[in-house]
Amino acid sequence: MRFVIRRLLLFMAALFGISVCLFVALRILPGDVASVMAGLNSPPERVAALREQLGLNRPLVAQYCDWIAALCRGDFGTSILTGRSVGSLVAARASVTFPLIVMGLIVAMAVGIPLGCAAVLCRSRALRSAFHIMSIIGGSVPALWGGLLLILLFSRGSGLIGVFPSQGFAPDGWADSGRALASLVLPALAVGLIVAAGLMRYTRAALGDLASSGYVAMAMACGMTRTEAVLRVGLRLAVPQLVSVVGLTFAEMITGVMVIENLFALPGIGNGLVIDVGNRDLIAVQSELLMLAAFFLAVGFLVDVLHRLLDPRLQTSGDSAAQGG
Amino acid sequence: MVHNNGAHGTAGATDDQTNTTSQDTTSPNSRPDTASTDSSLEGRAKTRRTSGARWIWAAVAVIVIAAVVLGLSIFSGRGGDQTTQGNASQSAGAADTVTVGLKLAPTNLDIRNTAGSAIDQILIGNVYEGLVARDENNNVVPSLAKSWDVSADGLTYTFHLNDGMTFSNGDTLDAHDVVWSINQLIKNQYHDAESVSMISSVAADGDDTVTITLKTANSNLLWVLTGRPGLVFDEDATYDAKTQAVGSGPFTVAKFVANDSITLKANPKYWGTHKAKTPTVVVRYIADDNAAVNALKSDDVQVLAPISENLAKPFADDDHYVVKAGDDTDKYVLAFNGACEKTADKRVRQAIRYAIDHEQIIASRGGADKALGGPIPSLDPGYEDLTSLYPHDVAKAKSLMAEAGYSESKPLTLTLTYANTYGTELGDQLRSQLKPIGIDLKVNVVEFSTWLQDVYTNKQYDISLVDHNESHDFYQWADPTYYYGYDNKDVQDLYAKAIAATSDKERDELLARAARTVSEDAPADWLFNYRVTTAWAKGVTGFPVNLNQTLLPLYDLAYRP
Repeated sequence: MRFVIRRLLLFMAALFGISVCLFVALRILPGDVASVMAGLNSPPERVAALREQLGLNRPLVAQYCDWIAALCRGDFGTSILTGRSVGSLVAARASVTFPLIVMGLIVAMAVGIPLGCAAVLCRSRALRSAFHIMSIIGGSVPALWGGLLLILLFSRGSGLIGVFPSQGFAPDGWADSGRALASLVLPALAVGLIVAAGLMRYTRAALGDLASSGYVAMAMACGMTRTEAVLRVGLRLAVPQLVSVVGLTFAEMITGVMVIENLFALPGIGNGLVIDVGNRDLIAVQSELLMLAAFFLAVGFLVDVLHRLLDPRLQTSGDSAAQGG
Repeated sequence: MVHNNGAHGTAGATDDQTNTTSQDTTSPNSRPDTASTDSSLEGRAKTRRTSGARWIWAAVAVIVIAAVVLGLSIFSGRGGDQTTQGNASQSAGAADTVTVGLKLAPTNLDIRNTAGSAIDQILIGNVYEGLVARDENNNVVPSLAKSWDVSADGLTYTFHLNDGMTFSNGDTLDAHDVVWSINQLIKNQYHDAESVSMISSVAADGDDTVTITLKTANSNLLWVLTGRPGLVFDEDATYDAKTQAVGSGPFTVAKFVANDSITLKANPKYWGTHKAKTPTVVVRYIADDNAAVNALKSDDVQVLAPISENLAKPFADDDHYVVKAGDDTDKYVLAFNGACEKTADKRVRQAIRYAIDHEQIIASRGGADKALGGPIPSLDPGYEDLTSLYPHDVAKAKSLMAEAGYSESKPLTLTLTYANTYGTELGDQLRSQLKPIGIDLKVNVVEFSTWLQDVYTNKQYDISLVDHNESHDFYQWADPTYYYGYDNKDVQDLYAKAIAATSDKERDELLARAARTVSEDAPADWLFNYRVTTAWAKGVTGFPVNLNQTLLPLYDLAYRP
């Protein structure tokens, strides 16, 4: 419990620090939303008037306090350019990005973990290096290229086996769930296969260490075969590590899938963020980034808690350490 | 969780026993007495490996089958959709919905406050209508006003409005709405208000006549009114202008997703002759060129404007598509900062113009663009082919640079700043073309908003490159405070006379003279006049080709697959 409270306090402190950094960093960027709104051919007076109207001339400290005060009320602000609340903007984008990431992770886990296990279990040197090469190739393929390849192979209209739509999200969103799901298949594969390679390497490394450890030897001494010992004892021991990796991968993917979102023209979080930064819609950008940061921290926090729950050894030693310190 | 015990070395007897029994059934000979050495352990494991491999293969097979089933079910679902759509469209003859792919998205729909030609492109003529409009050759044609008279001194314009006009919400549109709209524009200084600063008053005479009185004669007024300043809004309507629109045009905005798409539906209360031929037009914005091409190939969009010239070739060769390039007023202006000392020497500026191989640049972009020798493109008044003023001539460029004191071994360092939306190729080409004449070009590719701040607002640059897609924008060269910093009394006088001219012919001659003077002075180079290439699936009709990045009337658009 003490651990949870301490982590929560850290969480708040980190969030505060991040909010200050974000705010300052975004103000240092050249360019502002008033001149983007005014565009070419507008006299400087109009830009000045817009700045005044949008409150961009006010002292930075006041702007920061307003922002934080609104955040505390649960108001993420209103995008200057689109006129929509940042909360609803992010929600709309997240409804594309989150399913995409979840699908990608399912692909990654379904492919990466079994292959990682197989790489540890197989005895033949040739097969093992084949698995190794596979993971290296998978990990070094740029997402953009992998995505293009998938489009060439499977996209409806232009692909060799035209099965899935490759451009844009379903026009009616999740109301048309079949179409929405179909439009995420190729992007999820593109993301998932690349993440799978990383996951495969983690699994192999974690399991490989354990396979040559005393645990597995002990299990074998108790009568299990090596395969059984690795899968039943080793894998169980590796689970906490794998949960951490999967959790952090999940958080990273939110912005990591940006390239894929762009390639498949999906209106997701990463894609939206790039557009908002380009337009210097700072109120939207700072709230979006803070939400992302909070999400990162929250996932890290959850992973830590889960890690302790899954690894009883950590729990006892950790608690005694906490008591001691 | 049961297996925890094993991991902690306190293996329960049950575990041990189940394992032993299972081993007994499969390989009764490998008993624990040989389990003390590694080699025998491995040997034992080998005998069981087949079962492990089988387990993995089974898992892989299940995954593959699941994926195939999922894929097929989705595919069949989609196939079903398509057939029903096909049937519906066949019975009606033309498709109910046409999807158009465009590139630059409007960030919001607030046409009175937000800059950006993407807003003009989608809303003017489709959702909002102006007093007058433009045709595809950039000439002024009637719109809400069916005709107009101009007094001999050019100071009074009288517009006669159509009868029975309504907004999409049912409100009537008459002279009072026109007067209110223009007065609001001037009072609130909405976007482009400065272009109608010559208006002294606007008055309604009855319900169907509007009189605009000017302070000074202005030959540009009618054309200006075809754009944002002439748009007529409903005084009584309340709506969030950033996400909604109430206008009098053939379409209404049914759905707007910022940076992604706009769904237009035919306006059932439309008053005029430009009735929409397709009930629903969806406009999708696809920033990535490859993604856009894929969307066209896979029939996600039926029209793509623009299509990247280099990617258009396969479509031009394919019978199922039509590819056409249209004229436009986009000028790729390579401006030399008038306040920059390095380019103050006219010989340097001239040398740059001689050194640039425009034909090569155009060819590398796919060949659809047109060479442009001066500030006025062919669709604007005062156009004249000025490409012969500075033909490609590297020898001449070198000697001019030598006179100015520079050579390849002692180069002049200049920085080119431009926005990343134009790609890096242009900068690379210019750097390599200018290198032999003794210019070391540093290319600084930035975000558009950074360009706006550094170049446009603060005028801190040596050379800038931007696509000026505006039409009738010669005033930029007559305004020394514009970011070009070009200050030439002759040009300013000629332009003032052209604006005050009361006949189009007189105006055009004066503008042509001014443009020639500017070009000779070489305050910039005009890399090319960008022509938009549009591609559409066979069966699409009525999509405008000229000027379609700023003016895109969609009422005539139809698709018969």
